[in-house]
Amino acid sequence: MSGTIEVRTTPDQERWQRAVPVYGIPVASRPFVVLAIVVLLAFLFSAYRELAGLGPVSGMNDAFGWGIWKTFNIMVLTALGSGAFALGLAAYVFRRTKVHALMRVALLTSFLAYACGLMLLGIDAGRPWNFYWILFPWKWNLHSPLAEVAICMSIYAMIPLAIENLPPVIERYYYLRPGWRPWIRKIRDWLVRYFPWIIGLAYMLPAMHQSSLGALMLLAGQRVHPLWQTPWLPLLYVWAAAFMAFGCVAGTTMICCMVYKRPLDMEVLDEAANITCWLIFGWVGLRVLDIIYRAKLGTAFVLDRFAGVFWLETLMVLGAAVLLRRSITRRDPRQMWIGYVFASLGGMVYRFSPTTLAFKPDPESLYFPAAIEVLMSLGFIALGVLGFLWAIKKLAILPAPRQAWFDMAKYAKVNRPDIQLTDYFDSDNYLAVSTQHD
Amino acid sequence: MSLTRRQLFSAIAKAGVPATVAVAVGVKSAQAEEIRTPNAAVALLYDATICIGCKACVAACAEANDTTPDTRRDGLHQAPYDLNDLTRNVIKLYKPEDGSSSSFVKRQCMHCLDPACAAGCPFQALHKDSETGVVQWDAEKCIGCRYCTITCPYHVPRFQWVGFNPRVTKCEFCRHRLDKGLKPGCTSVCPTGAVIFGPRTVLLSEAKQRIIRNPGRYYQDRVYGDLDNGGTQALYLSHVAFEKLGLPELGPESVPAQSLRWQKRVYQYLALPAVLYLGLVQVIRKNFAGYKKELYEEQTKTGLRAQL
Repeated sequence: MSGTIEVRTTPDQERWQRAVPVYGIPVASRPFVVLAIVVLLAFLFSAYRELAGLGPVSGMNDAFGWGIWKTFNIMVLTALGSGAFALGLAAYVFRRTKVHALMRVALLTSFLAYACGLMLLGIDAGRPWNFYWILFPWKWNLHSPLAEVAICMSIYAMIPLAIENLPPVIERYYYLRPGWRPWIRKIRDWLVRYFPWIIGLAYMLPAMHQSSLGALMLLAGQRVHPLWQTPWLPLLYVWAAAFMAFGCVAGTTMICCMVYKRPLDMEVLDEAANITCWLIFGWVGLRVLDIIYRAKLGTAFVLDRFAGVFWLETLMVLGAAVLLRRSITRRDPRQMWIGYVFASLGGMVYRFSPTTLAFKPDPESLYFPAAIEVLMSLGFIALGVLGFLWAIKKLAILPAPRQAWFDMAKYAKVNRPDIQLTDYFDSDNYLAVSTQHD
Repeated sequence: MSLTRRQLFSAIAKAGVPATVAVAVGVKSAQAEEIRTPNAAVALLYDATICIGCKACVAACAEANDTTPDTRRDGLHQAPYDLNDLTRNVIKLYKPEDGSSSSFVKRQCMHCLDPACAAGCPFQALHKDSETGVVQWDAEKCIGCRYCTITCPYHVPRFQWVGFNPRVTKCEFCRHRLDKGLKPGCTSVCPTGAVIFGPRTVLLSEAKQRIIRNPGRYYQDRVYGDLDNGGTQALYLSHVAFEKLGLPELGPESVPAQSLRWQKRVYQYLALPAVLYLGLVQVIRKNFAGYKKELYEEQTKTGLRAQL
């Protein structure tokens, strides 16, 4: 299929060769402060929720025992944050090496999505003090999808995903604290040595818990509408997470490059778009075949809200795939960005449906989140965004051409003499290379 | 640099062949599993044709479990709409608009032989007693995730929405009374004998006897809970369709057996994930070595420290 499309090569000065921090802008910008206030409010309401219980702060009820904290912040947002899993698999297992340029953004968004989601999960649990049972494996109910999700997610976010995010952190201190270098070298050698074992775990665990998130709703049986309830739900869930994550990581990187005035490496973005596109076609194909096989296609042509949601998500992801495909042939980054956004949005609706939009409790009942519930949900999303805005300015996360690294070094030398930038910044080697580029 | 077909096949073979073996082994052990009826299984038998809807059992239940009677509806009468955080047992009335036959129904936990709530409970807070078969809740293990309210096909466990120390409320056959040799609260007060308590085998044959003695009286001449959902320890006889009374037709296979079949096989002894992990690491090691080489070549060329 790739034969039909002429592969674009990015000119050298636009090629993403290196992750470079965003410099010259204070971290505490205005949006940052606004977000911080939302986070603070969410923390205050969290304290209130712990005292008052779930009823007074949320719209959850006996029919809808799960509200948006679980169904949106965990089910949907950890899927968006599966970048480390999806891009990692593409790069390290299927050797789509161009994707490496986006890897640090993927790792960071994943870590933030999981960390914030898990925090809110702790607040959502009615009796969180009993979480200590997680330390006693013989008390786990290993056949429970929820145990699988809870245990696997915590281990993943705290161990392999955290370790994967170490390189940008130690890199920062390598440059800023020359005294720490022997230690940093040791950590780095250790990391490089065991990296395949760590990232292997970082792909195995998300594959397990992202699919188990789907398996959660299998036990709900007939209460999930037949367009969604299928034995293939686990596979569809993890698959949806894969294309949503590509959309999220590539879309985020594109918007950041626009905001911070960095060139777009269309070679990398085309590759990501191509992968996303085929992931979507495969996913929709599997889903539709399964619905036809279970003889439930008729329910998609009934005039009700379930059919509406089904067509909404199907058309959104298919539209995304078409846009991405067209953006590659027409070389149009705007269409590509919209395509990525729709890939994420369509997947988000899909991951939200079985628990909420397509969940039919008996007797029929409705759930709408309460104001405080929404605010807390937003607060923990804002926490993730804050973390992202902070990290891209402190750490080398966003990709850029190599020249940006030299520009940063020059900027730091003039404007921030207080920072001890050493070694590659002012070695002979650096001067030689940098004059070449000038 | 992307994967060639040959490499893909060899990768699939490395990870896939042992994985298939693991699944095959897992399937064997999963099929051997069978739903076991506990030795001393106790049960309720509720006969909707005898019930007069006096709700004595509702009051007795609250008293036996030492819960505040739920008078939240009008501040005066104990008249809960449904099961809730104060109500383990409730009498409802099914009365169709068209005037065809109506029926009371007593709702409480069905104490399934293979309970979906316990199958989903992450730390076994809800579990089935191995002797009596009572599905009981353990406050020391419950994390308040409310998955039981999602999984139960009868929509029985209810969560307490107010307060810092919420509990899950469901009928536990008054297990504190059983320990003392007493019957559950609801069965000890029923004036017509519509609900009776005893060993499951005895009550099941009693129910079947009633069907034989009264041909045509009972819906489908069938005991709900004999085989439904893999069998339950609350047995129902009724003259109207069970579905109308909130007892869905789930088939003879239990909900966990139907839906977690693959989940159980895939995670049996964690064998399959472990094998897949080892295969994955082998593939990654090879690819990572290549990537590392590229990175260091770039470092020598540009003089800039390689970024992992």
